[in-house]
Amino acid sequence: MRHLSLRKLLLGIGGLVLFILVWKLVTDAKLVSPIFFPGPERTYAALVKGLSGGALLQQTLQTIQRMLLGWLLASFVGILLGALVGISKRARAFIAPMLELLRPLPASAMIPVAIAFLGFSDHMVLVVIAFGALWPMLLATIHGFAAMEPRLYEVSQVLGLSRLEVIWKLALPSAMPMILASLRLGLTISLILAVVGEMLASREGLGQSILAASRSFRSPDLFAGIVILGAIGLVGSRLLSIAERRLLRWQATSR
Amino acid sequence: MALTQLSTRMQTGTRNSAPASDETRIRIRDVTLSYGNLQIIGGISLDVAAGETVCIIGPSGCGKTTLLRMLAGLAKPTSGSVELDGSMIAGPNRSVAIVFQDYGKALLPWRTAAGNVSLALEARGFPSAERPAIIRDLLEKIGLGRHADKYPAEMSGGMQQRLQIARCLAQEPKVLLMDEPFGALDAMTRQVLQDEVLGLVASTGATMVFVTHDLEEAIYLGDRIVCLQPNPGRVGRIVDVSLSRPRDQLLTREDPEFLRLRRELYDLIKDDHQ
Ligand SMILES: Nc1ncnc2c1ncn2[C@@H]1O[C@H](COP(=O)(O)OP(=O)(O)O)[C@@H](O)[C@H]1O
Ligand SMILES: [Mg+2]
Repeated sequence: MRHLSLRKLLLGIGGLVLFILVWKLVTDAKLVSPIFFPGPERTYAALVKGLSGGALLQQTLQTIQRMLLGWLLASFVGILLGALVGISKRARAFIAPMLELLRPLPASAMIPVAIAFLGFSDHMVLVVIAFGALWPMLLATIHGFAAMEPRLYEVSQVLGLSRLEVIWKLALPSAMPMILASLRLGLTISLILAVVGEMLASREGLGQSILAASRSFRSPDLFAGIVILGAIGLVGSRLLSIAERRLLRWQATSR
Repeated sequence: MALTQLSTRMQTGTRNSAPASDETRIRIRDVTLSYGNLQIIGGISLDVAAGETVCIIGPSGCGKTTLLRMLAGLAKPTSGSVELDGSMIAGPNRSVAIVFQDYGKALLPWRTAAGNVSLALEARGFPSAERPAIIRDLLEKIGLGRHADKYPAEMSGGMQQRLQIARCLAQEPKVLLMDEPFGALDAMTRQVLQDEVLGLVASTGATMVFVTHDLEEAIYLGDRIVCLQPNPGRVGRIVDVSLSRPRDQLLTREDPEFLRLRRELYDLIKDDHQ
């Protein structure tokens, strides 16, 4: 078991090393002009410089903050609304078709609407992030609630649990696997929309920094920004999987 | 302290042989139940005395589960009445506990054994400080003392069914309904659990309605056996079981009366299956 996860880790690191090697080979062979495509060394140098002295650290923190705020807002609203709709069959029948209609709307289509109401502001970016990340959580919560084992509902009736207790003690935990998966998806969406929002509204952050670097042909800075975005995504998703494994410990043995 | 508190409250009469009281706990009168045009239950009347154990047998699909669900308040009769202690059963009620056959679905997989029992106490508004002691006593009583921290997925079928029974006991029910609770268990586990349930029923004085498709189980457990007939479900025969209590897996099953009852019921049931 331990052995297996060590092997997995080594394999992952091997893949990463191979990727960097290929990257280096491609740039060393000058297959693409170095002006547009820096090698790993130049990217690393830009990364170190930006994080130690430059504005990159500040921008990274800005983007992370935006992502987290939007994600938390979306999670809170999504799970709360999802619970309210999901707990009642009638509300589900009433609202679910409408949601299915709204869901395929790309979140970026909402940006002009948000700009119209809120201008080029931090609030606008936050609203766009929250709106885009809301859907997976809302739908996962509704579906999770709907998928609750009917037998458990009967148990709750026989035991005399209150409606609030049914939500809190039965429906929410049984929807938890779906909700947790959607939280991970929502975090990815939040990161994407934070970057897009920063680019469009020129708010401080990695999105704006990447755009500025590309406009002035500072390709190492551009790639440094991309590397950080990748790292944020990776760490976020890892942290959530750890939380997931802890919260769903009860499932582990049944698989 | 918790156990004595619990058991004194559950104690409505200890018994060794026949039902301790003539008081009628459950009164079923001319009950019918239809789903759409299809009549599932076609006029059942039956009284169950306080402290009595009634076993219900019958071919599958004859409405045993449906009848039990009406007693639990989970289904409403189309006509007729079901009463508990003289008042109509309008809906699910804490004083009527039910053990479902599909224990895998009836337990909360994200709660440990202790947590599952706790649910019943939480529903009754027990303060959290008092719960652990009661839970420990109940799990001990049902042979799960060492497994309090296990999740259902880590437990065998027999243990999960024990846990469901423990949760029912935490309700301190007057009536215990059992829907083929041991149908999915192996023969040995089944016998051990039969004895445990008999012990619990004797010590709490609870009234039990036990559905099974196993004739010998019905004879071994019951004071009376109700044979249902299908299409629509109705009472065919009621057989009294005069075997002495406490019962014993070897002695009771070798008793000539046990063998005679088995023959009698077998002949009855055989006709329904043709
Ligand atoms: N919700 C329902 N809707 C329609 N028919 C049902 C429903 N529940 C049970 N039945 C039918 O009622 C009959 C009796 O079912 P049940 O009480 O489960 O029988 P048993 O427990 O004796 O096997 C069966 O024919 C079954 O198909
Ligand atoms: Mg059945």
